[in-house]
Amino acid sequence: MIEKEITVTIENGLHARPAADFVKKVNQYKSKVELMIGDRRINAKSILQLMSVAIMEGQTIKVMTDGEDEKDALAFIDFFLQSGKES
Amino acid sequence: MKYVSLVLISHSYEIVSGLKKLLNQVQPEVSVAIAGGVEGDIGTNALDIKEAIESVYSEKGVVVLFDLGSALINAEMAIEMLENNENIIIADAPLVEGAYAAVVEAGLGSSIEEVVRAGESAKELVKIND
Repeated sequence: MIEKEITVTIENGLHARPAADFVKKVNQYKSKVELMIGDRRINAKSILQLMSVAIMEGQTIKVMTDGEDEKDALAFIDFFLQSGKES
Repeated sequence: MKYVSLVLISHSYEIVSGLKKLLNQVQPEVSVAIAGGVEGDIGTNALDIKEAIESVYSEKGVVVLFDLGSALINAEMAIEMLENNENIIIADAPLVEGAYAAVVEAGLGSSIEEVVRAGESAKELVKIND
């Protein structure tokens, strides 16, 4: 398991459209992906859990990935939350 | 079709027309059809619902979401009228949040059961955390 604190810089935060895009891409990784937002821990592969938190621009969250492609998954999330796009 | 399709039913055409626009932006690959209002007025109509289901019918299934009680009766009638009504499920879900969750789930290539579950789970969604 690896983890990293990421400050979200995606413009306007993770609103409806980027959130859907995020879930779709995160589901392409085999690893378990969790986000810690304040004291709430959610499964980043679940759109409903993501809908239950508001991830805002400027917020710092903790990302935890666990599995064979955990490094790639974490790198992707790091990039996505800072630009909203894939490399 | 690769994905489960969605049909949105409302007493108001504008409600489902706007919701469809939102869903198409969120997940363009998933087919969404709507049935709203009756001849420009408020209401629902079984025939319109039947046509909406047919227009997006997918082997993977069609999930139907509706707004208020009597739309359910017309949705059930519409499904009975269809010649092929396998793999069509009416979800017990809030329309906006349920459709959003369902379209994202459908876009992952999920099964009809998973899409229904995503839509129905939106009922438990807590939108304001302190």
